[in-house]
Amino acid sequence: MNSTQSSGPAVRIENLDKYYGSFHALRKINLSVKRGERIVVCGPSGSGKSTMIRCINRLEQHNGGRITVLGTELNDDVGNIDEIRREVGMVFQHFNLFPHMTVLENCMIAPMIVRKRPRAEAETTARRYLEKVRIPEQAMKFPGQLSGGQQQRVAIARALCMQPQIMLFDEPTSALDPEMIAEVLDVMVRLASEGMTMICVTHEMGFARRVADRVIFMDAGEIVEEAPPEEFFTSCRNERTRQFLSQVLGH
Amino acid sequence: MVSLLRNQKVRNTLLQVLFVGSLAAMILACVMIARRNLAEQGITSGFDFLFKSTGWDVNFSLLPANANDPYWWFFLIGIINTLFLGTTGLVLATIVGTIVGLARTSSNELARLLGRTYVDIFRNIPLILQVFFWYAVITHLPTPRAAHEAFGMLLTSRGLYVPVPNVGGAALAAAMLAVIAAVALPVWLGRTSRLSQPLGERLGIQLTAAATALASGAVILALGRSPGVPILDFPSLQGLNLKGGLRIPPEFSALAVAIAIYGGSYIAEIVRGGFKAVGKGQMEAALSLGLSPWRVFTLVRLPLALRAMLPILANQYVWLMKATTMGIAVGFTDFFMIVALTINHSGQTLEVIGILMAGFLAINLSLAAVFNRINRAIALKGNQLRG
Repeated sequence: MNSTQSSGPAVRIENLDKYYGSFHALRKINLSVKRGERIVVCGPSGSGKSTMIRCINRLEQHNGGRITVLGTELNDDVGNIDEIRREVGMVFQHFNLFPHMTVLENCMIAPMIVRKRPRAEAETTARRYLEKVRIPEQAMKFPGQLSGGQQQRVAIARALCMQPQIMLFDEPTSALDPEMIAEVLDVMVRLASEGMTMICVTHEMGFARRVADRVIFMDAGEIVEEAPPEEFFTSCRNERTRQFLSQVLGH
Repeated sequence: MVSLLRNQKVRNTLLQVLFVGSLAAMILACVMIARRNLAEQGITSGFDFLFKSTGWDVNFSLLPANANDPYWWFFLIGIINTLFLGTTGLVLATIVGTIVGLARTSSNELARLLGRTYVDIFRNIPLILQVFFWYAVITHLPTPRAAHEAFGMLLTSRGLYVPVPNVGGAALAAAMLAVIAAVALPVWLGRTSRLSQPLGERLGIQLTAAATALASGAVILALGRSPGVPILDFPSLQGLNLKGGLRIPPEFSALAVAIAIYGGSYIAEIVRGGFKAVGKGQMEAALSLGLSPWRVFTLVRLPLALRAMLPILANQYVWLMKATTMGIAVGFTDFFMIVALTINHSGQTLEVIGILMAGFLAINLSLAAVFNRINRAIALKGNQLRG
């Protein structure tokens, strides 16, 4: 139960199984993510990539196998779940900001309530991270008054304000207009360069090439291929991976 | 001339003039016909009757009333009775609706089933039938001698007897205002400075405000109390009847219960819809930040659900306010029944119906205005929302 354990992998997934009714969504997934490692997960839609990363912070409950995050096993123990969620930040495809709170409040609420930080400290932290994602001037606005790209950067700042050890990104640029994708990716690249442990589900292959330590290709609930980016893009072994890459990179 | 008629602006103006003109002509004709008919029947129109005494009595009033009081006083009694019944019904219906609505959205299958059964039954039976049903139930409660007793209240077939404070009316009203302030102040303070103060300090300020308001209410009550009698007047059995306290007649209870249960089934659906309208994403985001399920509910789910509910809820409240006119079915002297009695006794049909309509318009338009105000104040800002 020691969240600050500094040895061992950040995330270890062993023989993970997940069913939706009779649909077998994840089949015996094995994955180990080292601290500071940057993983990009890609694959066709319905392949289970989102489901897998949503299992890591228990937004989805797994049906078999083991998930260990920072040395804590993710099981029915509510204390364990809370502990893991405190240390694992998540960014969603549709931003999911709280529309009834200002940008600043979005960033302050969890540190104040979950981490019991005093207000002044929470605000300083929030402003620092808003600065980092380059929208300090929007602090007093409401999410609905910002563009999609700005909202996603607020969502990243909100997750970072909890000072997590691991960040999960679930297709963070898929709902954005093309001209806004770059501003979000920029923030993510910088985060990666600072040594954050990141697991990103994304189709941004340029991003994968640039920052990933490992690229994982999933199809039909399985990890089909796993390789460092240069190897992944040049000499993938699997037919399904090749087909997928030709479709994503084809244009 | 023809070309002028083809001009869009000219055409629109012409249509407007025709419309307003025929409307005015129609109203004028109605008034003239009514006046001639009234004159032929020897009925004098006008509002002089308002100051004549009624000669009849009401069975329930929060204000002192007897047969010598003028009509305008009775109208006031009617409006206050309607407001009393309406607010009681609305508050109860909201409580019932919230509970049933939450049951319907819960993850517990039994709770969902119970909620659904409740809504299916009570939403589909006409309100008037439910009023009669509850009236029959309540008038078959035990006699005063065998009354059910709880918290100093007595429940009998003659009505519900509740203890009342022995204080002057003005002091009582002032004390009630203080209680409302004690509830409203902390809420208002909480809204104006959600995060501008540390949570702990804010709570302190809110508690102080509530305590101050409550204390001033207590002081007002103490000053306004009638000398030489206990502060609370408890109902008690004397001979065959009950003395003391305030008697809530079976008519009122039946109506309040019916409105609460019938309205509750509609409000349950509004509550359920409101919670359904909250995006799953916001709740997942809150959970992923480590907030507890309770915090997710109070900080994210409820505030967003309320915003979805309020406009429909306002509509339902206005509807239920009008449902108080069922009073006439069981003989509760609400505004509508007073108006009906007045028509019988005074014959001033047109004037009285005018007063009735004006009264309900005033009540419901104020209700709607308050809700619109709240809606505007809490509306989500910006137009870039999704998910």
